[in-house]
Amino acid sequence: MKKNIQMPKLSEQMETAVLAAWNKETGDMVKKGDVLFEIETEKVVSEVESMESGVLEEIFFEAGDEIKADEIIAVINCD
Amino acid sequence: MEKKPAWLKVSYNKEAVDEVSGLMAKLKLNTVCKEANCPSLGECYKKRTATFMILGNICTRHCRFCNVSSGVVEPVDPNEPQHLAEAVNALDLKHVVITSVTRDDLEDGGAKHFANTINAVRKLNPGVSIEVLIPDLRGVDKHLDIVIGAKPDVINHNVETVRELYLGVRPEADYDRSMYVIQYVKKRAPHIKTKTGIMVGLGETDEQVYQVMDDSLKAGCDIFTIGQYLRPSAKHISVKCYVTPEKFEEYKKIGEEKGFHYIASSPLVRSSYRAEEALAGGKIK
Repeated sequence: MKKNIQMPKLSEQMETAVLAAWNKETGDMVKKGDVLFEIETEKVVSEVESMESGVLEEIFFEAGDEIKADEIIAVINCD
Repeated sequence: MEKKPAWLKVSYNKEAVDEVSGLMAKLKLNTVCKEANCPSLGECYKKRTATFMILGNICTRHCRFCNVSSGVVEPVDPNEPQHLAEAVNALDLKHVVITSVTRDDLEDGGAKHFANTINAVRKLNPGVSIEVLIPDLRGVDKHLDIVIGAKPDVINHNVETVRELYLGVRPEADYDRSMYVIQYVKKRAPHIKTKTGIMVGLGETDEQVYQVMDDSLKAGCDIFTIGQYLRPSAKHISVKCYVTPEKFEEYKKIGEEKGFHYIASSPLVRSSYRAEEALAGGKIK
């Protein structure tokens, strides 16, 4: 089963955040709890943990992109 | 967006955040973690801890560093003390931190509601230590007496910044009044631990920071916290500098030498961050 990974909304006011870095590459195995990517908001950089285990199948954005909250940024294949 | 220094990195686990957020919403409770957009929210919620914010989520003051909304306040919820006590129980907290917005519109500044909340928490959760982070209650003795009378373990009132920056940072507050709050609490109830804290990175000098330490100690403060000011949005007062972890260590060392019971000083320290550890004098690991 494929799961969409969304840009988390870290606060009610957050409209966008900058994708600071990917900690995994396409094709990598990801375990639940692994840091999948980092995002930069007004205050800090947040290391976002994966909620899924599987293979990181697709990445739609690159480091440095400003992305809207809830936008789909990647797909993990959980099969 | 300005690039952050490497040490301003936190973890975020959506499941943990959703779990604690869901409980708060169910019990109609506010947390300062959420309202202040605290950078440590992810870490604290993952540990199933939070700092409750009572008396609504609208403040009557307009501090230029703070993310809590100002404006028309809501009526006080009489069920809030009981709901908060239930949340402490559900989260199985051993130490609870309760703060509030400033309510200059209320005759007692919300002191009685603080006392009711302390009593409700203690009744449902005997053995839990209680820390209140109070507004200045306009420095009125009889209002402070109401909070003191409920016998919390810790009374915290944040001085927030050095005297010289008050006008630009806390225009409706008064440095001496905040020091008076600490002094009065310690004088009336020496057994209650007193606590205060400041943000740095607002343009203060080292000498000014040490002066706040000296003033706080003279007032009878036991626990002192220092953390980096982080701007919630472009509308808030700017960060003048990112203080290095080494400088925070220096502040800690000097604060300890000056005689605080406990001092927490690092970039992501907030007044309620690891508050249980501060109460125990750093013995909890």
